[in-house]
Amino acid sequence: MSPVLLQGIVGGIVSGCVYALIALSLVIVYKSSDVINFAAGEMVMVGGYLGMFALLWLQLPYLLIFPFGALVIFIVGAAFDRVVLTRVVGRAVPGQSVLVAMIIGTVGLSYVLKGVVRVIPYTEEVRRLPPFSSGAPIFLGPVVLQHQDVAIVAAALAIMAALWAFFNFTFTGKALRATSQNPRAAALIGIPVRRMSMTAWGLAAALAGVSGILLAPKLLVTPDMGVIVILALAAAIIGGFVSLPGCVAGGILLGVVQNLIGVYVASRAISLAPFLVIMIVLLLRPQGLFAGKAVAKKV
Amino acid sequence: MIYLNWLVFCYRSSATANKIDRFDRNGSSCFGYKVLLLGLRRAAAYGLISANLSPSTGTGICRPIGLCGPKNKQASGGVRMTRRFAVRSLLFSAAIGLTANPALAADPGLTDSEITIGMFAPMSGQLTAFGLDALQAAKMWYEEANRKGGIHGRKIKVVIEDDKCNPNEAVAVVKKLVTVDKVFIVHGGSCTAAAIAAQEFVTREKVPHVMLNASGDGAVIPPTRYVFGAFAGTQRTVGATLAQFAVKELKAKRIAVIAHDDEYGVANTATLKAVATASGAQIVATEMISPRITDVTAPLLNVRAANPDVIVSTAYPGPAVLIAQKYGEFGMTKTPLAQAIQGIPVPAAFAKNVGNDAVFENFYYGSPLNDLTDGPKQQKWIAQYKQYYPDRTPSAFMTYGLPSAMAVTRALEKAGRDLTRENFIDALETVDFDTGVIAAPVAFGKDRRDGSRGSIFVKFDGKTHTLMPGVYLWDGKAGM
Repeated sequence: MSPVLLQGIVGGIVSGCVYALIALSLVIVYKSSDVINFAAGEMVMVGGYLGMFALLWLQLPYLLIFPFGALVIFIVGAAFDRVVLTRVVGRAVPGQSVLVAMIIGTVGLSYVLKGVVRVIPYTEEVRRLPPFSSGAPIFLGPVVLQHQDVAIVAAALAIMAALWAFFNFTFTGKALRATSQNPRAAALIGIPVRRMSMTAWGLAAALAGVSGILLAPKLLVTPDMGVIVILALAAAIIGGFVSLPGCVAGGILLGVVQNLIGVYVASRAISLAPFLVIMIVLLLRPQGLFAGKAVAKKV
Repeated sequence: MIYLNWLVFCYRSSATANKIDRFDRNGSSCFGYKVLLLGLRRAAAYGLISANLSPSTGTGICRPIGLCGPKNKQASGGVRMTRRFAVRSLLFSAAIGLTANPALAADPGLTDSEITIGMFAPMSGQLTAFGLDALQAAKMWYEEANRKGGIHGRKIKVVIEDDKCNPNEAVAVVKKLVTVDKVFIVHGGSCTAAAIAAQEFVTREKVPHVMLNASGDGAVIPPTRYVFGAFAGTQRTVGATLAQFAVKELKAKRIAVIAHDDEYGVANTATLKAVATASGAQIVATEMISPRITDVTAPLLNVRAANPDVIVSTAYPGPAVLIAQKYGEFGMTKTPLAQAIQGIPVPAAFAKNVGNDAVFENFYYGSPLNDLTDGPKQQKWIAQYKQYYPDRTPSAFMTYGLPSAMAVTRALEKAGRDLTRENFIDALETVDFDTGVIAAPVAFGKDRRDGSRGSIFVKFDGKTHTLMPGVYLWDGKAGM
């Protein structure tokens, strides 16, 4: 295999892990509320700023900025569900879809978050978090890797493993899954559905925020860094939007495809990669790469 | 209400002018008629007469035929006025036009003692650094001119608005400055997109617009009569001077180019390639990347594979940091990297964001100034600025605001006491002077609206800046 191809694949895996984390955040919200969270990108951005605030202003140790950022943005996500979405659902008019109002609510949240960040004078200058792991580059044959890249992949994999364990082995995780599958049945067996929804939103927001902290040493932290959500959306679509392992694979696949297109087609085609992959997936496997067979139910 | 009145005024004046033009096209060569027409035109220009049209016929203040010529039967069908009334109207209007008070004839924003200039720049938001100090420096220049007695006895008064570097806001503030504040000229714009957005309006209203410190490529190339800018050079200048520097100073034979796939990138890449090729160098890789790119692995792999002896980047700040990081990661630091000024607005912050000292082993950046931002040639302006604004530490963009203000005052001086917007433009077209601020002289012409075409280059090791010898100039032709 050519060194260029190898480097492209390895670089794509690093980027793809971050896309996958944000895609996981999108899928958790989608599975719990049936809506796409258009504020996920801004939650990533807020996470980046929270990490910077904790590290540079509060002087917290690097490892502590992750739980700090996750906690703060968890509260934002949970509060959004409690304050906005609960009211939107509560005021639903029979016969009208409440989902549109909920989606518009997420768009509104994205504007609010970006607006709040913009008015803070500190955000006028573009900044970057220092790398949380540095040192001489690691050479794997012809492939060059930074400590930072290894740390990003390790952190992303650890978070994914923790999520898997949370959903499979904890009561709250199982309750969340039950609520996403059938809220009415979950309520009948005593699961607090509203609280579960709030937890799902908080969890998704925390995941996006942590992704922002992971990204902050690689990308500049600006109020516009939330545009990365487009790539996460593509990853989620590739995975079928309901499959957590699917969106992880979708994120990594997207990262690799981007680099290969950049190397073998043209750098200017990189931004087309997500849309190209989405179209191919929708054409050949509209249910996503990792979702089950599409079945039409007669009702 | 004022705005509504202005709209009505514009509509009526332009309608009158149109009718007079039509009248002229159908007219004869009668001398008396020509005199009347001249008077009419002046009166219409001052808004002293208006077209009393019949909407049903669309005919003008009199029938659209020559008074001394044969009757135009086709056009006379809708005439509502008698010939005698028409002649009287013409004579009356012409008399008013020919004897109109010169004070009434003056362009807006101009009195015997004052010239009002409308200024705008980003004064709030994320891009404040680009505009606030530059605008205050320009204002300082005007205040200095006032302190010396003004220009031909007139003091400069400025009205300032905040466009936040947003194109929509820029159009709104320019409209407000022209229609409500009734400024003589508009002087502003620190961001290209915002500065360009106002072009259509100022051209329609025939109001001179002198950009503050935006390069404004799309508005100055191709040139249009009412818009002047690029006092820090266009992207064509950026590309051409980078190529010259790479070939002459860095002895490049094989150049790799990284640019954005937008209008800016296309413009600077065109001149960069043209100048490099003309100088005998070869472009071995051209990587056009999105301004929103989040991973530059692929473009840098392509650059590394092309084995260049100089890498030139015209990327914006975010992607420029990613490029520099990856350039360091891939161990390419023996190959010189020359970065255009737009990617490194604050070099110290850039170095901090890159976070790898090895990147700056062979790192250069371009600058439109005549010295380092804190160099001896810039100190004079910094000291003056601190006198005017003692509470403010000027940003690196402060002196960028001066050349445009200098050009404005020079043109006002050249235009003389009988100032109009049109003769201001004629005067501005003839300025050619050294500002003492930027690398190249500021010059305009009939076919030139980009003020400056030069750059200097600086070697930056992450901490200290070393001025490289020479000023590099774009000839205005390569890559066009």
